[in-house]
Amino acid sequence: MTNPTLTATRARPPAAIRGGSPRGNPWRPSLRGVMLAAWIELLRRRPSAKGYVVYAFVFAAIVALSVVAAVSAGPDKSSVPFELVLILVLGSGMLIGPSLSATSINGDSSEGVLAPLQMTRLTAADLAFGKLLASWIVCIAALLTTTPLLVYAYSRSGWRIGEAAAALGVILFMVLAVTAVGLAWSSIAARAVASVSLTHLTTGLLVLGTLLLFVFTLPLVSEDVSVTSYDFDYDKVTQAQLNDPSFDPSTLPCVEVEELYTINHTDKTAWMLLLNPAIVIVESAPRVNPQTFEEDGRAAPGILALLHQSVSGARMGPVQPEAYNGCTGDYGDTDAYQKRMVAEAMHPANPVPGLALAAALLVGSMWLVVRRLRVPYKKLRTGTRVA
Amino acid sequence: MNDMGEITPAVTPLALDAHGVRRAFGSVQAVINASLAVPPGTVTALIGPNGCGKTTLMLMLAGLLRPDAGTISIAGKDPHIDGPAARSKIGWMPDALGTWDSLTCVETLTTFGRAYGVPPAEARDRAFALLERVHLAELAAQPARVLSRGQKQRLSLARALVHNPSVLILDEPASGLDPRSRVELRELVRDLASEGAAVLISSHVLSELDEMVDDAVFMSKGVTLGASADALVAAARQRWRVTGRPGTDVHTTLSTLSRDWSPALEDDASQALVQVVDEDDAADLLAALVAAGARLSAFGPVGSALEQVYLTMEEERR
Repeated sequence: MTNPTLTATRARPPAAIRGGSPRGNPWRPSLRGVMLAAWIELLRRRPSAKGYVVYAFVFAAIVALSVVAAVSAGPDKSSVPFELVLILVLGSGMLIGPSLSATSINGDSSEGVLAPLQMTRLTAADLAFGKLLASWIVCIAALLTTTPLLVYAYSRSGWRIGEAAAALGVILFMVLAVTAVGLAWSSIAARAVASVSLTHLTTGLLVLGTLLLFVFTLPLVSEDVSVTSYDFDYDKVTQAQLNDPSFDPSTLPCVEVEELYTINHTDKTAWMLLLNPAIVIVESAPRVNPQTFEEDGRAAPGILALLHQSVSGARMGPVQPEAYNGCTGDYGDTDAYQKRMVAEAMHPANPVPGLALAAALLVGSMWLVVRRLRVPYKKLRTGTRVA
Repeated sequence: MNDMGEITPAVTPLALDAHGVRRAFGSVQAVINASLAVPPGTVTALIGPNGCGKTTLMLMLAGLLRPDAGTISIAGKDPHIDGPAARSKIGWMPDALGTWDSLTCVETLTTFGRAYGVPPAEARDRAFALLERVHLAELAAQPARVLSRGQKQRLSLARALVHNPSVLILDEPASGLDPRSRVELRELVRDLASEGAAVLISSHVLSELDEMVDDAVFMSKGVTLGASADALVAAARQRWRVTGRPGTDVHTTLSTLSRDWSPALEDDASQALVQVVDEDDAADLLAALVAAGARLSAFGPVGSALEQVYLTMEEERR
């Protein structure tokens, strides 16, 4: 049945030769290996004396900024400074992390550092996750630099400690995801210039692209509705009536008023906003009721709360324009605007789509990076050498 | 055959064995057909002009690049199937150290030792011992950026040794070394071989290799030249140069002694290249020449045998 020669040629090498492999699986990271790879990365990129001086200045500037903020602050609670710090941490993290990771594979390769490490017992996964960790640690260091400002701003923000921790966790996770994207570009592009710009282009696409896409798709979901209301026919007012102080407008004839509105069914496209990394932070922040915030022990709605309100407005969809009857004095629910505002502000936050996209980017990027770090190389990036 | 060990899997006389290896980058065939074998305890040179595929071949042997065809075995392991095991046997010295600027020499070696799974304290001890061995001990705490090119080469060699590899693949180890360091490199390589390592070394400094290697593999346009090149090396080793005082006609004397000779320089009868069988034969020839009244100023083997073959090969290419 089976051809003996065929089975012989197909047979796996004998166990004696295959055995004793230290670690055969390039996909398997080990804690030791990842830590060592990260340590090497940090050692190689440790700042020079000048670098430390710059960091000292940055730290001093942040402390000074906190002092100024504390002195100039009024007696009321305000979450704005804390939110600004969070935005600062997110912004700097999304710039620093991917900038570092985007040069760490092709840069190492062209500097002749990668191949000797690939020769060692560090697996492809060790190197990939080590590099990711190293770049991320630098971002965490940047976060720690802002600690004085962060602690001070937090104390007046009206946020609960769990909320602040969750928001910081989400920020660090988003930074981790874009750092992984940088690493992936670095494993694909031959030159550092290309990978750095492609990385920033990707984060730019996520931050600005989703907003632009949301705006540009508005015409696709817009609808014209006409509403028929009733009101007195003010066109019929004569000059004499206008000059007469005892003139009663209700004596005018009641007529139909046809009004045309354009409403946008943003509830169909609001998911684009939820994919935005900045909106993910907005959606991770606590909700603030604009009417009862004082009783709730919170500060007045800050930047994030107001943004949440806008995003929720988009998610809830348009408010149907309502007809009114001016002749009978029925102007509908006059509190509708206030109610809608509270409803928007208290609409359940949804950071899930953005977090899911980030997780997908993280997993996909790391899969690609490990794949491309495996040796022996089958394919090389065009225009590069192994060593 | 009958007592081939049941316990020992196989007697592997070759530490490094490659057969029919081929590799292309896109449309460029970098290595077309390369075969070589290095037994433990020996040094083999890989010689060929720039761009003949030496580095590509070495990368495949080191397990960093997958060959399109052919088989490679490192201490019995196939780098493709059992990559980590094969790579852990290899000490690979690339043609450059790489930019480890901010790490000190001892940090570089300790880090690599740990990356090879050596415990930290042992890695540090071994780092110092290796720095001693490559004469960089006094620079141990210096960052790698202050090292000269030759010192970097020595650090790179030390790095290749951190995990006591049984196979050494050295790509241009002598480039940038001063004469003293070259002698030291030669001694170090011979020592490593006598400790049982199989060494494959590529270099352009052929006269240097002559005294270091047991065997040479010539490579041209992606193909390793086998027996034909070996014959050329053997013939080159048997060529001796005879130099007489000006006015001495060694050509005639050699003809009367019925020796196989050729002129060394055009129109100069005082110099000639002679084919000898071995050193005894050379001694006999010298005695005969002196007895015939030739006034000689120099008599000895022609420069580097490898160099001669290399140049012959180069001529053949044209």
